[in-house]
Amino acid sequence: MIQKIRTYIQQAFVGVPQTKRSIELQEEIISNLIDKFNDQLKNGKTEEEAYQSVIVSVGDLSELTEGLKERHTLSPVSSKERKHSATIKAIAVILYILSPFALIFVSSFAQGQTALLTMFSFIAIATGLLVYNSSIKPDYIKEEETMVEEFKEWKAKRSKKNEAYRLLNSAYWLLVVVTYLYVSYTYFSWHYSWIIFIIALAIQRIVKAIVMLGDKNEN
Amino acid sequence: MTITSDILRGHTETIILKHLMEKDSYGYEINKSIQDKTDNAFELKDATLYSAFQRLEKAGFISSYWGDEKTGARRRYYTITHEGRIYYQQNKEAWERAKSLIDSLI
Repeated sequence: MIQKIRTYIQQAFVGVPQTKRSIELQEEIISNLIDKFNDQLKNGKTEEEAYQSVIVSVGDLSELTEGLKERHTLSPVSSKERKHSATIKAIAVILYILSPFALIFVSSFAQGQTALLTMFSFIAIATGLLVYNSSIKPDYIKEEETMVEEFKEWKAKRSKKNEAYRLLNSAYWLLVVVTYLYVSYTYFSWHYSWIIFIIALAIQRIVKAIVMLGDKNEN
Repeated sequence: MTITSDILRGHTETIILKHLMEKDSYGYEINKSIQDKTDNAFELKDATLYSAFQRLEKAGFISSYWGDEKTGARRRYYTITHEGRIYYQQNKEAWERAKSLIDSLI
């Protein structure tokens, strides 16, 4: 009879995603119904009578199961957010494309240095916009505490981090090149200014190591 | 009878919160105490009871934990939160007002 009660509830949950939440809810209902069933037996009812009275008192579970089905659907990114993100990306791309033209244009009336700096500021702004865009994207919020959801969340977090890192890295190296050219032009120190690249590489490695150590501590 | 059960259904959440104000409890125990208090005249359907638990927990008025029964199936216990107590008081006051209004009308 207890198995019959269990089957009855499990039948009602057919079609509901097997998340931790829905499995726990089934277990909760079943254990309470078994308690009730045993009490009915103690009061002198037969097994069949007790089973009938337990099932009658369950009522219509569809409201409960429908609620669990709905909650599982993902909330899509709103079209407004998508438009906003597309605008930022478009501006960044335009800045990238325009940067060489800015170099040519500015160099027609200004010194080489100023023209070069203009080009790299275009690139720096464009990269900055992309970094900003990837960091305002909503995190993947887990719907249910299942392994799959946890994995998805972890993956979303990781890929976002990687993208931001990649963008920051490219901006960093552009800045290094700017510094190198600026220093070399200004002081005519081509014979030793290349050392900037080695220093830059060392700084990048150290920063990466610090970030990684920080990540480990978080876990 | 339908009017009675309609009114009662509207207060399922308050009835549950009232029970949890006294002590932490689980589904069957709450329903048993409702039957006892009403001399077996009223009993919540399990579907109604668990839907109410889900709503209350989502709203942050109650929270739940699994008991550590040594024998038999594990039970999920519910406990009322601070917000739940405030919500109960508000509902109770609203009911008192409605009751006196209806008393003066019918």
